[in-house]
Amino acid sequence: MLLHTLNSTPQSSATRDCCSLIGNQDAVILFGDGVYCALVGSNSSDALTASGAVIYALAADVDAAGIATRLSDQVSIIDYAEFVAISEKYPRQMAWY
Amino acid sequence: MKYSLLVLSAPDTGSGNLTAVRFAESLVAQGHKLYRVFFLDRGAATGLSSAVVPQDEQNVSDLWASLAEQHGAELILCIASALRQGVLDDSEAARYEHPSSTLLPGFEIGGLGLLVEALAESDRLLTFGG
Amino acid sequence: MSETIKNTTLLIFRQPPYTSSLSRSGLDTALAAGAFEQPVSLLFLSEGLLQLLPQQDSSGLGKRNHGKVLTSLPLYDLETLWVDAESLDELGFGLSDLPEGARLADRKLIEEMLASHDHVVAF
Repeated sequence: MLLHTLNSTPQSSATRDCCSLIGNQDAVILFGDGVYCALVGSNSSDALTASGAVIYALAADVDAAGIATRLSDQVSIIDYAEFVAISEKYPRQMAWY
Repeated sequence: MKYSLLVLSAPDTGSGNLTAVRFAESLVAQGHKLYRVFFLDRGAATGLSSAVVPQDEQNVSDLWASLAEQHGAELILCIASALRQGVLDDSEAARYEHPSSTLLPGFEIGGLGLLVEALAESDRLLTFGG
Repeated sequence: MSETIKNTTLLIFRQPPYTSSLSRSGLDTALAAGAFEQPVSLLFLSEGLLQLLPQQDSSGLGKRNHGKVLTSLPLYDLETLWVDAESLDELGFGLSDLPEGARLADRKLIEEMLASHDHVVAF
C-alpha cells in the first residue's frame, strides 16, 4: 500500500528503480516528465502496467507534453484534487524524481 | 487528515515545486490540515524575494505566499539551504552584513528539527523533488 | 516536540555523494532525526550506496567529506546502514568495502521496510 510518485524521464535511474519496486497493492502517480513513462508501447509503460499497480497521470503535465492520445489505456488521468484523494488512501509515499 | 510537505525542488526548474503548491492548495480546499511545508535543499530558493519571474510565467513563490496569507500555512526554509542560496531573513542579513533581508513575506527560516517534528506530528508526509 | 507520537521514518538515499547537495541534505535530515531522538531507518538504494565508500577525500572539490560526516551517525544512535544488496553487486562492491554498520538488504527486505514505516522520505 505504497503511493509512488514518479516525475522523472522513462530512461532515468529513478524510473528504473521505481519500476523494480512497485508492488501490486501499490499506486503510481506520474507527473512532470514522469508522464512520458506511460507512453503506449514504451518499455517503461510495459513495466508499470505489468506491476499490477494502479497507474495515474496528472492532467496538467499530460496536456503540457501533448501526449493525451498516446498514453497506455491502463492509465487514468487525474487532477490535483484526485491526487490528494489518492494520497489519503495510501499511508506512505515514495517520491521518485 | 494532517499533512506536511517536504519540497526539495527549486521554484524555477522541473515539476516538483509547482506540483507541490497545487497539491497543497487542493488539500486545504478539501478541508485537510496543512501542518507545515518544509523547503530543503534547492527548495529553499522558493523563499527568495529578489528572483524576478517573466511576466508570462507563473510565479510559484507567490502561490506559496498566498497559501500562507489565506490559510496560515507554515512555510519553513531550511536555514543551511537558505543561506547557501542567498535567502536571508533580517537577523541573518545582519549577521552576514548583507544590506537587507531577501526573504519573501509568508516564509520563515528554521532548522531541520522542524522537519523532524513534522514527521512526528503528521498523518501524511509527501516529498516533492526533481 | 511531542513525547507521545513516535512515527517511524524510512530515509532513503539514492544519490552519489558529490553530484548535488541532495546527499548532504539527506544526511543532515538523518542527523537531525537522531538529535531529536525520532525513530528513523537508513537505506542506501542503488547509486546512493556510493555515499558509503570509506576512502573519500573531497579536499580537491572544496566540499565536506561526505564519508566523514557519515561516521558521526553512530553518535546519534544511528548504527545500522541498510544497503541495497543487488546494486552493491552490480557496482562491483562487497559488504567488506563498506563501513562497519552496513547490512545487506535484498529486494524482499526493502519491500518490507517500505511497508513497515509510517513515512518514507527519499533523497
